[in-house]
Amino acid sequence: MAVTKEFSSPIAPTWCPGCGNFQMFEALKRAILEMGWKTEDFAMFWGIGQHGNGSDFWQVQGFHALHGRSLPPATAFRLTRPDQHVIVEMGDGDGYGLGMGHFIHTVRRNVDITCIAHNNQIYGLTTGQASPTSDHLMKSPSTPKGVLEEPVNPIGLALAERATFVARGWAGDIAHLSNLYVQALSHKGFALVDVFQPCVTFNKVNTFRWFNERIYKLEEEGWDPSDRVKAFELSMSTFHDLECTPETCRIPVGVYYKEEGRPTYEDGLSATQTPAFKQAQTPRDVSAIMRGL
Amino acid sequence: MSQSAPYGPEVRIRIGGPAGTGIKAAGQSLARVFASSGYHTFDLTEYPSLIKGGHNTYHLRVSEAPIYSHVMATDVLVALDRQTVRLHLAELTEGAAVIYDPADFEPDASDIDGRDDLCLVPAPLTAIVKDVGGIPIMRNVVSLGAVLGHMDYPLQGLLDSIRAQFANKPAEVAEQNVAAATAGYAFAQDVHCDFPYKLAPRAAEADVVLADGNESVGLGALAAGIGLYCAYPMTPSSALLHFMAKYGDDNGVVVKHTEDEIAAMNMVLGGAFGGARSMCATAGGGFALMVEAFGFGGVSESAVVVGVFTRPGPATGMPTWTEQSDLRFVIHAAQGEFPRVVLAPGDHTESFEAGWKAFNLADQLQTPVVILSDSYLCENRQTSVPYDVDAVTIDRGALVAEGDVASHPEAIAEAGGYLRYKVTESGISTRALPGVTGATQLVNSYEHDEYGWGQEGERADVRIAQNDKRMKKLELARTLVPPPNHFGPTSAEVSIVCFGSTKMPVREAMSWLEAEGITVNMLQPVTVWPFPHEEVAAFIDSAARTLVIESNYTGQLEGLVAEYCGLHFDANLRRYDGRPISPEIVYAKVKAMLGAQVELTTAGAVAAKEGGL
Repeated sequence: MAVTKEFSSPIAPTWCPGCGNFQMFEALKRAILEMGWKTEDFAMFWGIGQHGNGSDFWQVQGFHALHGRSLPPATAFRLTRPDQHVIVEMGDGDGYGLGMGHFIHTVRRNVDITCIAHNNQIYGLTTGQASPTSDHLMKSPSTPKGVLEEPVNPIGLALAERATFVARGWAGDIAHLSNLYVQALSHKGFALVDVFQPCVTFNKVNTFRWFNERIYKLEEEGWDPSDRVKAFELSMSTFHDLECTPETCRIPVGVYYKEEGRPTYEDGLSATQTPAFKQAQTPRDVSAIMRGL
Repeated sequence: MSQSAPYGPEVRIRIGGPAGTGIKAAGQSLARVFASSGYHTFDLTEYPSLIKGGHNTYHLRVSEAPIYSHVMATDVLVALDRQTVRLHLAELTEGAAVIYDPADFEPDASDIDGRDDLCLVPAPLTAIVKDVGGIPIMRNVVSLGAVLGHMDYPLQGLLDSIRAQFANKPAEVAEQNVAAATAGYAFAQDVHCDFPYKLAPRAAEADVVLADGNESVGLGALAAGIGLYCAYPMTPSSALLHFMAKYGDDNGVVVKHTEDEIAAMNMVLGGAFGGARSMCATAGGGFALMVEAFGFGGVSESAVVVGVFTRPGPATGMPTWTEQSDLRFVIHAAQGEFPRVVLAPGDHTESFEAGWKAFNLADQLQTPVVILSDSYLCENRQTSVPYDVDAVTIDRGALVAEGDVASHPEAIAEAGGYLRYKVTESGISTRALPGVTGATQLVNSYEHDEYGWGQEGERADVRIAQNDKRMKKLELARTLVPPPNHFGPTSAEVSIVCFGSTKMPVREAMSWLEAEGITVNMLQPVTVWPFPHEEVAAFIDSAARTLVIESNYTGQLEGLVAEYCGLHFDANLRRYDGRPISPEIVYAKVKAMLGAQVELTTAGAVAAKEGGL
């Protein structure tokens, strides 16, 4: 795998050999290069998890947030820094567990952020417990009899709250993933790219081979990404039997849904038109407000 | 029955009735009438956490002389239901008036408990509203007219205020209200009791601020150039969210009502990363949710301001009442150790000052700054001399907002490259914002190296260097924070230490005691963290008799003094029933320390018992 040097820190990645995070790292660096962004043009936010350890491997304007809390600071940053692009990376345990409330509310806002979920359907950092996206009945150290909950359907949830760009990526295909990222980064509004990214150490079910046998590309099958209801139906592919065959559970990747032209949250605020740090150069005159109370 | 000694020429008015009848709004318009004609006012709104029903009251103190707090006595009671009379009978002064609507109830012997001194004013509020073609909520306006009529105070100010209030509504709405007030006024004039508490009309327009503590903090924050305000509604801080929502966007402030307090605090950190002066505010319960992110602000050296406006806890507690029981919580909140500043403004003017100074401290120290207040200060309005907006300054500390970080050599590594967390003598590192050329960095919730990366942060030497660098800022903070306030003579018979809103009733009581020739002084730490142990110790060491006053059960301030000064007080006064410390009980406590037993009279005033001074 050719490795892009731009945006990389001097710290060598500590992910397990073969981890899907490597491909995601590479695909995103290529996409940012293709966008023509320089380091001073964008900021990146991470939560806590193996994806978040990636914050050490980037040399960018970065913010390594608390577990589950990458979207709120990214939102605030975007609203107060209209001159900056914003990329959020979150994990499935991080973003769809603790961060689920923030995820739903950020989707509702259609704030101009690209949100990339490292979805390995497992907790890697804390050694292999089930995550919110683990398959029903998957066994793990915290669920020895199998996960009794249905997995979170992030695509469906995002569509339910009218996300304007919803895609699923596959870490096993860097070129395809990088192209999805470019589309997401170019989109005006909230863009979700939920990426299947096998955990080679702890997830013995959803492996590279398992995915490769099931993945298909939406654009190759003439998918129309303008139909929200059909996209929602497609998102039901999240739910399948643990023992399903490649024929009975096919995994669609690509852009599920895209809506152009809907106003962003920041379009509705006059305050976001200027970087907010410029508001604190000289004191505001509050005399009239004070006397008008 | 009443005792005039502590009180100057003043009138105390209470409006009471069920929630949802517009009591607070009506009371505040009455306050505006008196404030704009040069009177000093202090109001106290007490209400349960209900939208309809229950018992709400608005108490307004109007005085010719400067005042510092509410008092417990009432001279005019507007009773919009029967229970209002029963609940407040004991605080009615000799000759006090009770304005009520005979359509609601007729006070019977048990309601007034044989008080034949009272002047009953049976104002037909509902009938008058009907006559002028108004809606039931306008009963308030009739009662305001009746209050002024009873006091023989000119009606014109109220009519002007009504017309201003309804300026944007169809003309007949204002005129209906004017007619309602006029009819109420005329009715009370006809009843004409010999009312002993009168205020002479003042002609001059007064230049005053009539603001509550929430608005005062908000004004300070606006003046300081706030760029981001995030909050989730929670009493008693919600009014600050409303203030910011009303004035923010047009003034360039992003104001976000977030999904929860966790989001609010995390958003504020993101705003600070981008260089916005960022603030959130909440009550103790909301702050409990914010705590993890508050600590993140410490390790990431984020310049943020957090308002913690407290009420009685634990958990949901008593949402609409007041308490100072989160002092320890705020100074200790979050796992791990990091420097923080906690400012506890004692009144409305100090709330304004804390509102802007907190941002300078946060930027200078690059660490979270808390404004600790409570319901008593946040929700009640006082007339103040207009806040000194010309004194506001902006100091953003070691901030690089634009340009190239290479022109700031102090922030560059020997091998080149920007170091956000470079170890320095003072503990302060140059903070270059995103967008500045070369300002790559990692704001990190993990311990980190000078760049911000987490991996090296696990090294023992790096951990020590970063932890030492951060903690050094606490010593720097001591040189920057507002010092304690000292009131009264250098030496006194009784020396009081208190913090926050308790300053107000203590100052009021001090003025009563001074009038009797009793010397009292007071030390009020405005900055409660870092704790000003030297000033407090010096004050206590030089005192004859010491008293500590606070609104909590365990004596949290008293404990801090024991812990950091190794000193104990001669006496303490603690209150934890949700009601603010009142000047009457401070007065009585001080007199008791001097050997004069004092008790509250039935009028809520204080009277010397046998053997008094």
